[in-house]
Amino acid sequence: MTDQGIKSRPKYQRLALDPSGRHHLLLIDGPALSSEAADAGFDIAACETWIVIRRSAVPPEPILAEAPGAIRPFRSTAHLFSALQDRLARETMGLRIYAAGTEDFLWDIHGIADQAGMSRQELRFCHVGSKARRIFCVHCRTITAGVKTSIVACSGCGASLFVRDHFSRRLAAFMGVQVDAEAPGEVPDAEEIYA
Amino acid sequence: MTLQFKPNETFRSDFAYGKSDADLLRFPFPFPEDAYMYSVNIEPHVRGGPTAAFAHVFDIDEHYVAECRERALVLAEDPKRCQVLPHMEMAEWDTLELIMESLAADYPDHFSLTKAGDLWTWVNRPLGIQQSFTFGEAHTLPYGPFEYITRQAQGDFTLQDQRDDNLYVDGGMVTTQADWSLEFNIGMTFHEWHGPVPLAHEKGVFDRALKYLLRLQYGRPVRRLNWTITINPRLDTSPENYPVWGPDRTTVTSENVGEKVHLRVELQTLFRLPRSNAILFGIRCYLASVADLARVPKWRRRLHRVLRDLHPEIQAYKGLPRYRQMVLDHLAPFDDGAPTSPGIQSDLDAL
Repeated sequence: MTDQGIKSRPKYQRLALDPSGRHHLLLIDGPALSSEAADAGFDIAACETWIVIRRSAVPPEPILAEAPGAIRPFRSTAHLFSALQDRLARETMGLRIYAAGTEDFLWDIHGIADQAGMSRQELRFCHVGSKARRIFCVHCRTITAGVKTSIVACSGCGASLFVRDHFSRRLAAFMGVQVDAEAPGEVPDAEEIYA
Repeated sequence: MTLQFKPNETFRSDFAYGKSDADLLRFPFPFPEDAYMYSVNIEPHVRGGPTAAFAHVFDIDEHYVAECRERALVLAEDPKRCQVLPHMEMAEWDTLELIMESLAADYPDHFSLTKAGDLWTWVNRPLGIQQSFTFGEAHTLPYGPFEYITRQAQGDFTLQDQRDDNLYVDGGMVTTQADWSLEFNIGMTFHEWHGPVPLAHEKGVFDRALKYLLRLQYGRPVRRLNWTITINPRLDTSPENYPVWGPDRTTVTSENVGEKVHLRVELQTLFRLPRSNAILFGIRCYLASVADLARVPKWRRRLHRVLRDLHPEIQAYKGLPRYRQMVLDHLAPFDDGAPTSPGIQSDLDAL
């Protein structure tokens, strides 16, 4: 992975429990916590855990105990996000959120938590899985998802966008800037660097 | 003071823009010495300084009317160049009060503000505006209070909320910017929105600047100068419109370099706001062509030396590589190697 030296690019750490938290909610983009996502001493039993199994046939369970050790499955990330919005609307101070998954998953959670009034200090993220990026075209404001290459065609205006490391947490996306704006047609070859 | 406004100037398409002799001599030339590197070059924003641009809280010059019209054009094309997050409403009123009171006090021939309790009347003679409104009630103005007053000011403005020992850029009026996007950056922390700047993070510039600004006091504003190079006297060099202005960089020739290439200076001011505890950041943009600057012996010598010796990463960040050599070739014959005086003043009384 290249590094353009831009400080807005998020840095991630393996998950560790925040002892100042009163209740710990662990959100996993998958069926289980990857071993690379947490410290060796991370006590998953101290968390209420939500997982995404990517199957439609998960029965809609009544809300289980919102308690340490409970595991709640979801059909998709969107299904989890929907429940998270509802849950955070009822939450009180002291909740800590831990999330492990792709950057899309992590920063969608950030957006929901921000809307609910949570601060960044109450969230801990570990990036695991695909390194593909969401790109916000700074010229036409279209978001192109799943970008794996250094240069990508904007799905909105067609511009050849250079993928900058500049990241907006509010938009949950990296910036794309037309690579041949000064000399149209001078587009370097795209390299796959965000696989 | 007498200001002769030039209402027909343009900052796009035909670029009908020029500087009077007095306007050139008040230019806030950004280099206090013959070399440039990032530093925490912050000083108190007190009245008076090395050029007349420092004489007032918010500087108004001969381009005022034309710049306000250019701002209105940009906003008509892209209303999101002005955005303020909802929790910043008190900071909007703080801004309106600060700008109205400062302009009325500094330029009584052009602006006036009268108050009868919360009922205020604002008169802006250069733009032909008279507006009565109730302070604190946004529905009594044609725009939100921040947008209303910054449509009548030169230069960009952002609003910084202070929380968690950090500054968040939670609002702005950004139509004359040096290649940064409010739509992309709004909501960012201090280090995030400065993320793309090279070298300065490693030098600790942003750590120290943030610590300094977190302690900024009401009534004690501060300022600094920043600079870049812009082709043509174009105010809107936004990332949004980079495909529109980027090709300008390929139009510089050895014949037109003096007229095409402009030194773009930002007189940046920072004010603690009284009710919201937010910080108002003013980014007042000045443009002068290389040909204009070459009329001032000290400035042409120094500009040549600064651009000649500029760190390669700063050259790249400021977009200079395509035409820098032509600027150097143009300025080199003017640089006789004589020493220059410290500081940014022109050392001239008249041209």
